[in-house]
Amino acid sequence: MSDAANQITLTIDGVDVKVEAGTTVLQAAERAGIVVPHYCYHPGIPSRPAQCRMCLVEIEGQPKLQPSCVFPAGDGMVVHTASETAETARKSVIEFLLLNHPLDCPICDAAGQCMLQDYAFETGQLRSRYAEAKLVLGRDRVADDILYFGDRCIICTRCVRFMEDIAGDNALVVAQRGHKAYIDTFPGKDLDHAFRGNIVDVCPVGALVHEDFVFKARAWDMDSSAGICPGCSTGCNIDINVKENRIVRTKPRLNPDVNSYWMCDHGRRCLVATNLRERAEAPMIRAAGELEPASWNESIEWVAERLVSGPGVSVVSAGLSNETLFYSHLLLEWLGIAGGAFRVETGEEIELKGFPKLKLRAERAPNGKGAELLGFRRTDSLPEVPDGATLVALGDGLEGAPAEYGANAGFFLYIGSHLPAAAHNATAILPATTVPEMEGTFVNFEGRVQRFHRALRPPGVARPAWMFLSRLLERLGAGQGVLDIRAAFAAMAAETPGLQDLTWGGLGLRGALLNGDGQPAVAAGEGAAWKR
Amino acid sequence: MPGDVRFVERPEAESSYVRAISQGLGITVRHFLRPDKPTQQYPDEKWELAPRWRGTHRMAVHEDGRAKCVGCGLCPTVCPVNCIKLIPAEDENGERYAAVYEIDEFRCIFCGFCQEVCPVEAIHLGVHYENAEYTRERWVYDLARLCENDHPVTALWDPADPSSE
Repeated sequence: MSDAANQITLTIDGVDVKVEAGTTVLQAAERAGIVVPHYCYHPGIPSRPAQCRMCLVEIEGQPKLQPSCVFPAGDGMVVHTASETAETARKSVIEFLLLNHPLDCPICDAAGQCMLQDYAFETGQLRSRYAEAKLVLGRDRVADDILYFGDRCIICTRCVRFMEDIAGDNALVVAQRGHKAYIDTFPGKDLDHAFRGNIVDVCPVGALVHEDFVFKARAWDMDSSAGICPGCSTGCNIDINVKENRIVRTKPRLNPDVNSYWMCDHGRRCLVATNLRERAEAPMIRAAGELEPASWNESIEWVAERLVSGPGVSVVSAGLSNETLFYSHLLLEWLGIAGGAFRVETGEEIELKGFPKLKLRAERAPNGKGAELLGFRRTDSLPEVPDGATLVALGDGLEGAPAEYGANAGFFLYIGSHLPAAAHNATAILPATTVPEMEGTFVNFEGRVQRFHRALRPPGVARPAWMFLSRLLERLGAGQGVLDIRAAFAAMAAETPGLQDLTWGGLGLRGALLNGDGQPAVAAGEGAAWKR
Repeated sequence: MPGDVRFVERPEAESSYVRAISQGLGITVRHFLRPDKPTQQYPDEKWELAPRWRGTHRMAVHEDGRAKCVGCGLCPTVCPVNCIKLIPAEDENGERYAAVYEIDEFRCIFCGFCQEVCPVEAIHLGVHYENAEYTRERWVYDLARLCENDHPVTALWDPADPSSE
């Protein structure tokens, strides 16, 4: 907040609101809790062409209606957003936009979260006065994975301006003019930017639709939960949309400290892909030569009886939550296995020009920093297993391991959500949940501790690994079993430098920076509601 | 003996059943001699149903036999008993269609909301009630069976006065 000299007061629909000089009328109205309908204005896109004419408001002293998205608020200004003149103007804009709109809401994927539908409904024009035949533009493909329905488009140019202002790649243009205008790729250019998926999110109508999502689910069929993208160490805040216990879509969730309104396409894909492959659904123990399913009580008892402190190797994963890594570390300590390590997949780093903090980072795992904080180190390869040694594979998918990996171990404890070929050599398999199936925290590249919520029901009797690891430790006489994520987080925070001042509840939706190493602990409030 | 049991004597005229029996038989005989016979020789003779009778569903089809359903998902949304299962998909022309469409007629309460909400007038209730089956599974009508049904469709409202109840 700046000093009082910079503050101005204006009246919007009879509500006095105090804002900083330079705020636009639309933002001031938002502050006062008044929504001014708008299409072309998007809070995350800097350019404001004021071309949709939807946000016109009446300002006393001004001869004409003014677009509130660009009109700066002035001291003592009196604004009417819902006066008769403003309402009439808005109605006319909607009527124009609907002239050639196909009104195919029943089959449009945006129905239920469409700004055109909402405002048309609000202005309440049930019948069109337009008797002529509608112009049909059909559909097009603007990118490999993005469809464009020209008829639905209202030419707000949000997508064009996202590519220009934020992505810094002028791949999209408005072709033709007037009622024939449509969005197309620039001649000779392809829309292949790694952040192109955001144009679907900024589209206020159903003109741009991701091909993976087309006709998949209606807006009201989906549950949404606040997650963290596991695609790289940035830790973008995301909304996970779930229908019938399957992830159908991920969308960025506003967090100005991490990813603003955006996320990359790699992130969008990687959670949807967790639906696939063979899952571990029940604990398995090799009691009589073969791996047989067993109950949790039985398996924990069986494993606890056979685990012995002694020579051994381990591999963990940077995709595990902090709580799981904390209890993994305790287990490895009990086993006397020093220096647990994790492998991290790396890839090309890709920047988003308009929001430099957000990158698709080279480290393609969400919690490398957390794993280091909790006492693990990086490695490039799976550890060699000496004959007869104990092998603990925890969360690592054993990619690249030969099929007989671990077969020579004295005791091979496999803890994971999926079952790669080498997992079938295990002495015991304890089924863990994947990230969207549990609650927990990650630490991103800059040391921001962020919480993620559960989006899916786990298959079978798979449980969060921190839960059964703490129980196993209790059975081994080395700790206290916990069933509650708050308790698990508290147990971890009490013993981990950097986390000491943080609480599960205090992390909120925006996360908090680690304390120590020069960074202050930031008290975090609840994140702002997701806005288009 | 616990409690006092009292025996009340009633006059013969009140306690006799002869009068009630003859009254009842009187009704029987009166109906027996009625000139119009209300008994119907079902299934040889069938009831004439009202045009607003709400019975077995029917799916409207295009001329080429495809279902008119566009898979919008409004009927499973509005259905108060969740008896409609719909999985939409994209056909070879890029159009949305119902890849799976099933109605559990056992669970259905024949409220007619699905017909009312349908934006393309595809799903209808029918003026039809004869749907006895040997197994419960047969009561779940799939899309092909709904399209095959050819009984008259229900008029949910009076066409002459559509805004009335």
